[in-house]
Amino acid sequence: MFSYSPLIVLFPLLGFLFLGLAGWRLRSEKLIGIIGSGSVGLSFLVAIMIFVHMLGLPVDQRKQSVELFTWISTFTGTPSSISVSVAYQLDQLSILMTLIVTGVGFLIHVYSIGYMRGDKGFWRFFTYMNLFIFAMLNLVLADNFLLMFLGWEGVGLCSYLLIGFWYDRKFDTGGYEPGKATTSDAAKKAFIVNRIGDFGFLLAMLLIFIHFGSLSFDAVFGRAAVLTPGSSIMVWITLLLFLGATGKSAQIPLFVWLPDAMAGPTPVSALIHAATMVTAGVYMVARCSVLYALAPAAMQIVAVIGALTAIIAATIGLVQNDIKKVLAYSTISQLGYMFLGMGVAAFAAGIFHVLTHAFFKALLFLGSGAVIHALHDEQNIQKMGGLRKYLPTTYWTFVVGAIAIAGIPPFSGFFSKDEILWKTFSSDYGSIPLWFLGVFGAGLTAFYMFRLVSLTFEGEGRYGHDVHPHEAPRTMTIPLIILAFLSVVGGLVGIPESLLGGNAVEHWLGPVFDPAYEKLRLTPHGVEATEYVLMILSVGVAAAGIYGARVVYIRRTELAELWRRKYASLHKLLFNKYYVDEAYDKLVVSPTVKVSDGFLWKGIDVAVIDGAVNGSARLIAMVAQNIRRVQTGIAQQYATVFVGGILVILIWLMFK
Amino acid sequence: MDLYIIVFYLFALITLASAAIVVISKNIVYSAFALLFTFFGVAGLYVLLMADFIAVTQLLIYVGGILVLLLFGVMLTTKVIRVDMRTATVRTFPAVVIVAALAGTLIGIFWSTDWPQSPASDGFERTIPQIGEMLLTSYLLPFEIASVVLLVALIGAAMIARRERKAL
Amino acid sequence: MIVIRLEDLLYSAPLLVLTSSGLLALIAEAAGRDKPVISYYTSLIGVITSLILTFLNLGAGVPVFNNMILQGGYAAYCNLIFLSSALLSIVLSRSYLERMQYHRGEFYVLIVFATAGMMLMAAALDLTIVFLGIELMSICLYVLAGFMRKKELANEAALKYFLLGAFATGFLLYGIALIYGTSGTTNLVVISRSFAQLSGNSLFLIGCGMLIVAFSFKIAAVPFHMWAPDVYEGAPTTVTAFMSTGAKAAAFATFVAVFVRVFDIPGTALSSVLALIAAASMIVGNVTAIAQNNVKRMLAYSSIAHTGYMLSGIAAGNAEGEQGILFYLVAYTFMNIGAFGIVSWVEQQEDRKLKFDDYAGFSARQPAVAVLMSVFMFSLAGIPPFAGFFGKYYVFLAAVKADMTWLAIIGVMTSLVSVYYYLRLVVLMYFCEGESDVAAKVPLAAISAVTLAAVLVILLGIYPSLLVDMTKGFFKI
Repeated sequence: MFSYSPLIVLFPLLGFLFLGLAGWRLRSEKLIGIIGSGSVGLSFLVAIMIFVHMLGLPVDQRKQSVELFTWISTFTGTPSSISVSVAYQLDQLSILMTLIVTGVGFLIHVYSIGYMRGDKGFWRFFTYMNLFIFAMLNLVLADNFLLMFLGWEGVGLCSYLLIGFWYDRKFDTGGYEPGKATTSDAAKKAFIVNRIGDFGFLLAMLLIFIHFGSLSFDAVFGRAAVLTPGSSIMVWITLLLFLGATGKSAQIPLFVWLPDAMAGPTPVSALIHAATMVTAGVYMVARCSVLYALAPAAMQIVAVIGALTAIIAATIGLVQNDIKKVLAYSTISQLGYMFLGMGVAAFAAGIFHVLTHAFFKALLFLGSGAVIHALHDEQNIQKMGGLRKYLPTTYWTFVVGAIAIAGIPPFSGFFSKDEILWKTFSSDYGSIPLWFLGVFGAGLTAFYMFRLVSLTFEGEGRYGHDVHPHEAPRTMTIPLIILAFLSVVGGLVGIPESLLGGNAVEHWLGPVFDPAYEKLRLTPHGVEATEYVLMILSVGVAAAGIYGARVVYIRRTELAELWRRKYASLHKLLFNKYYVDEAYDKLVVSPTVKVSDGFLWKGIDVAVIDGAVNGSARLIAMVAQNIRRVQTGIAQQYATVFVGGILVILIWLMFK
Repeated sequence: MDLYIIVFYLFALITLASAAIVVISKNIVYSAFALLFTFFGVAGLYVLLMADFIAVTQLLIYVGGILVLLLFGVMLTTKVIRVDMRTATVRTFPAVVIVAALAGTLIGIFWSTDWPQSPASDGFERTIPQIGEMLLTSYLLPFEIASVVLLVALIGAAMIARRERKAL
Repeated sequence: MIVIRLEDLLYSAPLLVLTSSGLLALIAEAAGRDKPVISYYTSLIGVITSLILTFLNLGAGVPVFNNMILQGGYAAYCNLIFLSSALLSIVLSRSYLERMQYHRGEFYVLIVFATAGMMLMAAALDLTIVFLGIELMSICLYVLAGFMRKKELANEAALKYFLLGAFATGFLLYGIALIYGTSGTTNLVVISRSFAQLSGNSLFLIGCGMLIVAFSFKIAAVPFHMWAPDVYEGAPTTVTAFMSTGAKAAAFATFVAVFVRVFDIPGTALSSVLALIAAASMIVGNVTAIAQNNVKRMLAYSSIAHTGYMLSGIAAGNAEGEQGILFYLVAYTFMNIGAFGIVSWVEQQEDRKLKFDDYAGFSARQPAVAVLMSVFMFSLAGIPPFAGFFGKYYVFLAAVKADMTWLAIIGVMTSLVSVYYYLRLVVLMYFCEGESDVAAKVPLAAISAVTLAAVLVILLGIYPSLLVDMTKGFFKI
């Protein structure tokens, strides 16, 4: 059965190749849509078959690698021989991620057939989407770091292509460079910020190779399992990997790209920037749990960054007016919870949250897409309202998603989020302040989600009279209904023991994380009374958030305006997203450009030698003159630099 | 101090002083003439090193060939297109500083190194037969390549200097 | 005494065939006036024949001509790079020169002789050959850089290149003289035997330092790089492609031949000097490239940056470094020649259409060419799965192995910077409105040459073992 696993990857690749080569000739959108979603659907079927097969196997046989071909084999015979294969590793973790990617991916592909109808780039869209699924599957199924990195870069490339899909559209960054930015700027920003993260990943990979002598997961984790915690190289490796994760998964300090990434079509936001790609960082940390277990200090940092991101993104989400921006900040915040889970050694809980989040966040994004579709590309929630009666299906499914993310039992979000919070409270690596941040963030989440629901669907319509909202077509509503169903029941696979469930997810993933748990020597916790108290507390906070939002935005709408004026400066700070973009521009972007333009080029290349030695205005004038009669002047100067270089080299050679 | 040393320093002085004039002189014709003495001084040093072939070659090719060509070039250019053949020296200061530093470093290194001593040869031994034989045996390939290099230089010079043909 | 053995001639057949075709082309040019096409085909046939002979000669390296040069093995591998670069340049040049009205037969003759010089550089087992090879290549390049005689920028470029090149040659000879003075031989194999003992001698070290200076000039490493942007900009675009790939590869090949294969530099001051130059090249090249508005100049600074990446491999001085550079050179040759090839299609007379903005909206009119250009840009930026990524990966790995993690960190960080300017071109082509197009209909031969380069860039990115396996046994003479 395992030998069929390459098919999972193959179908989207074939879909991509076919659509990429022949797509533009196909007249029928229906055919393109069927090919595009069908390839992902077939992958999903294969993944399910393998999953069922795995369920029937004893625990110790559930992990297997399937090698396709030897990809790189160099330096053989030397101590640093590398041998990397294109090989896929199937285990409990990767099959779960595969099911999420292909399952949710399939639904979103189907939805896109309706959403993208009539777009001139219809075939291009499905080509990129299939390429994305291919890259993402390589990322989660890879059995070594290099192949994972390839997938990692591949999803980044697709994300870049899809954010800039409507490249000619203006794009409102929310105050920063108003009116000038286009979606291609957003795409570029996403790409470059991600490269900073990738730089961490690449360095970590080099260090892993040097330290462990291999890049395959089995070898590296096998060798790591016999080490004892405390070596500084492990801290470096894990922190650099985490830097990669902060880029891909939009955590502090690299979260700035995700809100801008909303410039892409909504199904892209749902698939790439909510359900799958952004969770790659979480998956990577979970995959490397053994390495993190060897560096408890790095885990602390992961936990703190996760908790802070959760809170900061949630506060920004409170005041945003773009429906997709609110959801984007909500995604950042929820990813923060997942990293909090990773940081406090609740690896299974974190992955569980990836699962439930994929359901409800894809649902919310697709719902927002239906709203935007109905209102002819209006995204400002201040210009919505009262859509409940026009879009009943969208409304009800959206509310289900909102309840799920708010954490009200028995919806899925409750179980996964509560598991993380309980582990944060009780684990040896968690702490009460972190737990407090988590609960506070949960309250904020409930509040901003129901602010969104209230402003969009409830009250009176605030859009123009010439707009007549209508429910989306069936290809769009059916995925919504399926995702809503999953958002309700998806949590049932992880009901904790304390609520008389089996916590199936934790047990399923257990063998993957056992080596890490062993290293960490966690104190076992049984069912405790505190757990119930905390559970009731967090549900209470969430309920209070929901109630508060409904009061402020439906019954006493004047309150919102009053508070905004009363706390004007705070509102401004949040509305402008803590000015992070502006700070980055001032601190990083402009200086780089200035140094490049003013110093290194005009400075070093043209003026420094003269300037440093003679340093007079007369000489600058002379240089300028020489630039006109270029030849001799500059050539002599080049020679001077040349001789200077020789001097440095000789002195270095003599005194080193 | 024996005669050998005195002659050595004499040639060295001629070489260095005339080289300095080449660089410093503002009149390019003076520079060209000073170059004559530089080449001559170097040839003298070769003689002192018992390198008869190289010394003669130095005189024949550099003094007899290249320098004469250079002088013709300079004088004809002045006459034909009336260019002011004076050279300006710009930014002397940074150049002097950096060159002095380089020279200082090199001299310092040479001073502090133990030079390998080769055994003193007994009298003069002609090098021409040896060089000739080496060039046609061990060093045959470099010898042939050198001819290709010269050919290419010739093509290049012709390419740059020739009159423009009609547009094709 | 036997002067030439038959084996000598057989093993060095690629070199001899190539040189002969150059001579033939020259004679043909002199005989048949104003028919540069004859010269074009003669040199093309010469290069292709030489390429085929080189393929037949890929086995173990054999020293020939009294241990003067090595043929086969390492030399054959490098020859493949030079000959591919020459082949692509010749094919791309014909239509370009015709369009610029500078189509002369001598052009191809010079390219062929320059390639012969490169082959000697990589094959050298003796410092005299190193010197002669470099001179043969350089003299051809000086003339090629100024080939468009009526263009001011071209004259300036050629003169500047010549003056500074002569300067560098002076240091090369000085270095060779000092090495000869301390070791008593110019033969690299003999020197390698006593390297451990010689490396304590400061005169020998200075000699090596001078060699580093001369080689660094040829590969355009900081601070000996200043000629490169001017010359790359002023030279005909296809010559720039040839210089930045073939000539650079040749300089690297001889750099590796001397400093990695012969000298045992890890742990010595030489290694740290090389690391310094590498770091400076990466930083200055990448950061300065950001400020450029001219695509050719941008590619010039980018080539300085790539010099820095490759130098990290030499600084590491281990087997991984050598294999890394050898892979990188191939990847770099194809992606760079492809990029310059496309630039030459867009360029118009009098240096027009060389700005970044001249590529706005390119994908709308030339979707296929835009895809090719994007492949080259992504590969230059080192984004997998293109060949450029593995090149960087190998050399940085070598640097980390050699305990120079700081160098790898600088490398990765500066290549991060480079993403910005490579991507800028892609963004302009795809995400901006504009009227840009190719200047004239591009002939089929040129299109296939660039497409071939792109296919190789992708193929080597997906399956680098294809090439790396070939270089396995090359380390040390």
